[in-house]
Amino acid sequence: MPKRWYNVAADLLTPLDPPLNPQTGKPLVPSDLAAIFPMELIKQEASTERWIDIPDEVREILKLWRPTPLFRAHRLEAHLKTPAKIYYKYEGVSPAGSHKPNTAIAQAYYNMKAGIERIATETGAGQWGSALSMATNFFDLQCRVYMVRASFDQKPYRKSIMQVWGAECVASPSELTNSGRAILKEHPDTGGSLGIAISEAVEDAATHDNTNYALGSVLNHVLLHQTVEGQELKKQMAMVDDYPDVIYGCVGGGSNFPGMCFPFVPDKLKEKKEIRMVACEPAACPTLTKGLYAYDFGDTARLTPLLKMYTLGHDFIPPSIHAGGLRYHGDAPLLCNLVHDGVIEAMSFHQNEVFKAAVTFARTEGIVPAPESSHAIKPAIDDAIACKKTGEEKTIVISLSGHGHFDLSSYDAYFAGNLVDYEYPAELVKQSLAKIPKF
Amino acid sequence: MGFLINPVAGMGGAVGLKGTDGLAEEAIRRGAVPIAPHRAEAALAELGSIDALFLTASREMGESLLRRSGLRYRVVYEAKENSSSEDTKAASRSFLEEEVDLIVFCGGDGTARDVSEVTGVKVPIIGIPAGVKMHSGVFAISPQAAGDLIREFLRSDLKTRETEIVDVDEEKYRSGTLDTRIYGVAVVPYKPVLVQERKQIYSASSEEDFKREIAIFASEFMRDGSAYILGAGTTTAKIAEVLGLEKTILGVDVVKEGKVICRDASERDLLRIIDEGGRSKIIVSPIGAQGFVLGRGSQQISPQVIRKAGPENLIIVATPHKLKETPRLLVDTGDVDLDETISGRRQVISGYRIAQLKDVAASSRVGTRIHPLKTAVS
Repeated sequence: MPKRWYNVAADLLTPLDPPLNPQTGKPLVPSDLAAIFPMELIKQEASTERWIDIPDEVREILKLWRPTPLFRAHRLEAHLKTPAKIYYKYEGVSPAGSHKPNTAIAQAYYNMKAGIERIATETGAGQWGSALSMATNFFDLQCRVYMVRASFDQKPYRKSIMQVWGAECVASPSELTNSGRAILKEHPDTGGSLGIAISEAVEDAATHDNTNYALGSVLNHVLLHQTVEGQELKKQMAMVDDYPDVIYGCVGGGSNFPGMCFPFVPDKLKEKKEIRMVACEPAACPTLTKGLYAYDFGDTARLTPLLKMYTLGHDFIPPSIHAGGLRYHGDAPLLCNLVHDGVIEAMSFHQNEVFKAAVTFARTEGIVPAPESSHAIKPAIDDAIACKKTGEEKTIVISLSGHGHFDLSSYDAYFAGNLVDYEYPAELVKQSLAKIPKF
Repeated sequence: MGFLINPVAGMGGAVGLKGTDGLAEEAIRRGAVPIAPHRAEAALAELGSIDALFLTASREMGESLLRRSGLRYRVVYEAKENSSSEDTKAASRSFLEEEVDLIVFCGGDGTARDVSEVTGVKVPIIGIPAGVKMHSGVFAISPQAAGDLIREFLRSDLKTRETEIVDVDEEKYRSGTLDTRIYGVAVVPYKPVLVQERKQIYSASSEEDFKREIAIFASEFMRDGSAYILGAGTTTAKIAEVLGLEKTILGVDVVKEGKVICRDASERDLLRIIDEGGRSKIIVSPIGAQGFVLGRGSQQISPQVIRKAGPENLIIVATPHKLKETPRLLVDTGDVDLDETISGRRQVISGYRIAQLKDVAASSRVGTRIHPLKTAVS
């Protein structure tokens, strides 16, 4: 298990454009963030140091399930009759069922060190809320999770698991905040949205003493904490004397995929290794493949700083595909920088083909993958099938970010033929797009 | 609730007449037996005991069946012995005068035309399918489904939506040409099918909300200087409404830079506009119950018009509800090669900045030309 996090900001071809204060249009200063984040995390957010030590207390907890296993997908290979070697690194072995605890543990730790007693956050599908609930529990912090009501109602077991870990999970909009009450007054039956849940969590953090806010994706420090994945992968591959020709990972806001491939970026840039890193996103929300590279707000409610990223526009609300974790209009600025510079590639896929691949995977390897993670399985299978023609013994790695045990109703919908293949009408949107603020 | 049966509806079908308009006697001579009363009975059987008063027309147009059924009714219109389309219209007028909440009729497209000609969008209507042709969107999928809808409508507030009344020129139909036109717009109650809704602040759930979303998106991308040919139907009409323009629902209008440059355009008008005006795009929406986007209802948008504008400039819009209801969209421009070019998996704008991938098929390939009954009645 790695002792340090790898910071890709040290190895970028183009320096990262700073986040901007939307009021002034000027780069953010640390004090802008101090109201809701501990200083250690703010430092990490701005750091260009290549290596940052992982505190022992954090490593002790990560050891509960790390290093995560790297499997060779022998049965999938046999099923496809491919000469390719398919590996998958499985983050679903974490207690919360995904990669999210990798950063939740670190964030809870730094908040505890800073004397913070309570954390407020939001969750859409429930993965992040679960991970942070577990993490805050380990460091004796209180935690309140604002969960988008529609998914709160759809996935009641997410609330249950958060309660087991001692956190309080409330449906958003709630009666607990001004922004929640205002919405409920006008629309008592609303299913909520991630934008509203973010507003509630930020308001909660800003109005309670000793309460901070935490985010499970997009930000530099989150991606930093996830790099334990890629470092382990590199070592595990070396143990079997292999090296990836390609890594596929799903991208929503960008945390698992960057965590898996960032440690390979210097190999590609400095050692000139021929490795492809492919970000896989839903066709319904194709940020990297169809978005604009520009400064935009990170949330619908325009509360966040402006981030330089690929974006579909902060006012774009992706349709409710079953890979709920990939419904985000933007992407992590670090990832976007590397896509823009051509170091990392991006592809997009429709729900039905993704679920088809997921079922093939489950029926050969046994693991029922999360719909999000399955976006990485789809191109890996395509790639392996292509190898049958070329005879290439390509080494393919799937970043399998989580299991799908809370997503079985989505599988039901797939089998019932009820999944719609959404598509983003990029040309028509381009024609109409004039809403993104320009700086 | 107004209730009427077109007793001869559907009779022409079984004896090869492709419709019974004006040919009831010929159908009977050929040995056709009444269909509609049985279908209406099947629909009423679904109702069970309900608290409603049926206002109806005399004899075979409703009274006979209602008397047998034991439901509460009152005859408000005396029909002539061999009832005709005039009786359907007159009975519908009586229903309106009595201020009914709903009109249920049993028949086909011809009956739907007669009823909706009188009612317009003033009162919701439900069609119990019994005709030879049922292209209009007012028909329930089966008599049982019609009964189910009526019961739900009376019990609670079902949502309503506007739909197109479509009919075929029977004379031409009998000689092998399917010439469908939109004759009007009616309001129908509907059970919302399960559509995947967006998780947004105020979830758009009704079909009208989605039409508006589509229209707002269209109003944004339509500012690019092109001439936009808007096909017939209520979805394209909504686009015009959002742009603050008046739209011919039953016809084709052309909009450029926020202004109507041609109203109720003919094919010749469209060709002229494309020739003069540079870049032109076409926006169409599925019409009627079977999902036709081209070749039914907007014949002005001819193969030549589409080829001139460029098939790549064809934009299809449709609500998620409509897409859910039809397994695929159909095209029948009359130009088989063009139909082939247009068909395949295509992007259909279904909301604000979002599309669905939907199969579009040439109707000549899927054989829907002659068997509307098969598709409309389960």
